[in-house]
Amino acid sequence: MKVSLFEQVPYRYLPEGFENQHTSVVTAPYQVVEPARMTESLFSAYAELMHGARAGFDGICVTEHSQSSYDISPNPTLLASAVACAARAEQLDVAITVLGRSLGKTREPLKIAEEYALLDCVSGGRLIAGFPVGLSYDANLNASLPAVETRERYREHRELILKAWSEPRPFPWNGRFEKYGQVNIWPRPVQQPHPPIWIPGTGSPGTLRDILQHDYVFVYLSWDGPKLTGRQVFDRYWELADELGRDRNPYRLAFLQVIAVSETDERAEREYARHLEAHYRSGLGAIPHTAMAVPGYAEPAAIEGMLRSTGPAGMLSRMKTATYAEIVDSQVAIVGSPATVADQIEAFVREFRIGNLLVMLQNGSMPRDLTEKNISLFAEEVLPRLRPVWDAEGWENHWWPRAAAIEGAV
Amino acid sequence: MAGAVRDETVEVCDSRLRLHVKIAGDGPPLLFFHPLSGLAWSPLLDRLAERHTVYAPEHPGTSPGDPQAIREVQTYWELLLSYEELVSKLGLERPVGLGQSFGGMVAADLAASFPQLLSSLVLLSPLGLWLDDAPIPLMEMVSGLPADVPTYLYAHPDSEAARAAQAIPADPAQQAKAIAQATWNVGCTTKFAWPIADHGLGRRLHRVQVPALIVWGREDALVPVGYAKEFGRRIAGSRVEVLDDCGHVVQADQPERSWTAISRFLAG
Repeated sequence: MKVSLFEQVPYRYLPEGFENQHTSVVTAPYQVVEPARMTESLFSAYAELMHGARAGFDGICVTEHSQSSYDISPNPTLLASAVACAARAEQLDVAITVLGRSLGKTREPLKIAEEYALLDCVSGGRLIAGFPVGLSYDANLNASLPAVETRERYREHRELILKAWSEPRPFPWNGRFEKYGQVNIWPRPVQQPHPPIWIPGTGSPGTLRDILQHDYVFVYLSWDGPKLTGRQVFDRYWELADELGRDRNPYRLAFLQVIAVSETDERAEREYARHLEAHYRSGLGAIPHTAMAVPGYAEPAAIEGMLRSTGPAGMLSRMKTATYAEIVDSQVAIVGSPATVADQIEAFVREFRIGNLLVMLQNGSMPRDLTEKNISLFAEEVLPRLRPVWDAEGWENHWWPRAAAIEGAV
Repeated sequence: MAGAVRDETVEVCDSRLRLHVKIAGDGPPLLFFHPLSGLAWSPLLDRLAERHTVYAPEHPGTSPGDPQAIREVQTYWELLLSYEELVSKLGLERPVGLGQSFGGMVAADLAASFPQLLSSLVLLSPLGLWLDDAPIPLMEMVSGLPADVPTYLYAHPDSEAARAAQAIPADPAQQAKAIAQATWNVGCTTKFAWPIADHGLGRRLHRVQVPALIVWGREDALVPVGYAKEFGRRIAGSRVEVLDDCGHVVQADQPERSWTAISRFLAG
C-alpha cells in the first residue's frame, strides 16, 4: 500500500459564518483576507508537506483551483516544485503527485507538458502526473471556457501532452483547439514514455472506462468518505475492470480520505471538531451547486441520471450545515485515536481494494502545529499498519514513479 | 391559431449536420431564431404564422434525441454558414429574419455576413454587442440558480407567458427529462455566447442593407436598454422601439405593444 499526504491550501482565517454570506469560489470576496495571514496560510501548506515528506509518507499530493478560498493553488506545480527540490536536497524519496493541472481548463496545454516534465527531472523521476478534466466552476466560470467543449478540450490536450513527451522529433499539431507549428518541448520527463498517469474523477462510467482502457489509475476524490457513495463507484470500477480484461490490482485505485488523529478519541474530538466543521461549511459547503455543473458540462443523459438517481446521496448538499457528528458518523472524516483510525481505514481499504491512499490531514482553519501533530501521529502509528495491507497478494505496482531505476542508470 | 406545426429536417455542412426546423403558417417566408433556452412554440409564432410561413430552426444539439449535433458545429462561423445553407436548401427566397436574444444575434449576423440573404430584419433585444459601461450578466444568469432566471428575463415574472415559459412537468420522470433537456439547450447555445456574446458583430453591422426593426424593453435586466441605441446607430435606416414596463422577453411582458410594433413593421 502506498500512502500519500494530500494538501489543499485554504486561507485559514475566514471569518465565522463566512458560508452564510459568501461563496468560497469564483466571487469569494478577497476583502476578508489579511495579507500577513495569507502569507502564513500559504507557507504553512509548504511546511506541512515537507513535514510529511520527512515523516515518511510515500508521496505528497497537491491540486489546482483558481479563484477559491478553500484551495489557493492556481498552479499546483509551483508548490510541488518547491517540495520536489527541497526533498531532493534532503535525499527524501517521496513521490510528487500533481492532481493536477486541469486539462479541460487550460489554454496552454504545452505549458503543462513542460512543467510536469521539469518536475519529473528535478525530482529525479518521482512525478505522478494527474490529468483531471477540471471542475465546472474552474473551467467554465474562472477560465470562462464554453462548458460544452470542456471534455473535448481535455481529450485533445491529453493526447497532445503525451505526444509532446515522447515524440523524438519536432512535430506540428493541427488540433481543434490548439495549433502549433513545431512542438519540441524541453525538458522531457525522465520517466519515458511518460510518468505514471492518475486521473481524478467522481466515478462516472465513461471516465472509469477511459481510465481502464488506457491502463491509468483512477483517483476517487469524492469528499464523501468510503461509506456514502464509495461502494457503488468502487464496485462499478472493478466490474468494469473485469469486463475490459484488466486485473484487480489494487494499485489501479487511489482514494482520498480526510483523517484526524490524536492520542485518544475524546482528545481528537476536542482538538479537531471545530476545524472540521468550519472546513466543510466554509469550503465545499459554500460552493453553489450550480457552479459545479454549468449547463453543457454534463451530457443530458448524465443530468437525467443524476436527477433520477435513487442511490445513496453524498454529503455535498448538506456540507454547509455539517455537524461534527454527521461528519464522523458518515466517515466523511475519520477521527480518533491511532487504533480507531487504523481499524476504520484498514477495513474499507481491504473491502474496496484500494492500493493508493491519499490522506488529507489539514482542514480549513486547522493551525500548523496541530496539523503537524496530525501528520506525525499518523506517520508513526497508523501508516505502519497500512503499508503491508497488500503484501500477501503480491501485486506489482506499475503506477508508481520509477525513480530508483532511473537514478541507478545515471 | 395558424394550424398545425410540422417538422422538417434538412442536411447541411456536407451532410454532417441535420437541422431540425419547425414550420407553420402560410405566406411569405419568415425565419425565427430562438433564444438561449431553445425553441418553444409561442403565441408570437402563432401570430406570425397567420401571415407568414414561419420556419423556426432548432439550434444544433437542442433537438430532443440529437444532443451530439452540437459537436458538428465547431465555430460560430460554421453556425452562420449552416443557416445560410439552410435558407437555400429550404428554397426560401429572401425570408424575413426575426430573432430574439441569442437568436437576435444570429439573425443580425446573417444579415451582416450575407447582405443578400434576408429581406428584412426584426431584432428582439438581441445579444451580440458589448459595452464596458453596460455589462451583460449572461454568465451570472446561466450559472446561477434556476429560480433567479426570471428576474433577468421579465419585468413581470408572474405573467401567464412568463410562467408558461418556466413551467416544468409534474411527473418526476418527465421532469428529469425536461430539466436535462433545458440545461443542455443552454449548454449548446452558450457555446457561441460564452462568456461574452461578442464575435465582432459591431464591426459588421454596417453591412446590413435591409429594413430593420429593433425592439427593446426599458427594464431589460439581461441586455440593458442602452444596447437598443447602439444597434440602431450601427444599422443605417433602422427603427428602434423601446417599450416601457418591459423586460428582456418583450413578447411575454408586453405582448400587445410588441406585436403592434412587429406587425406594423412587417406590413411595411
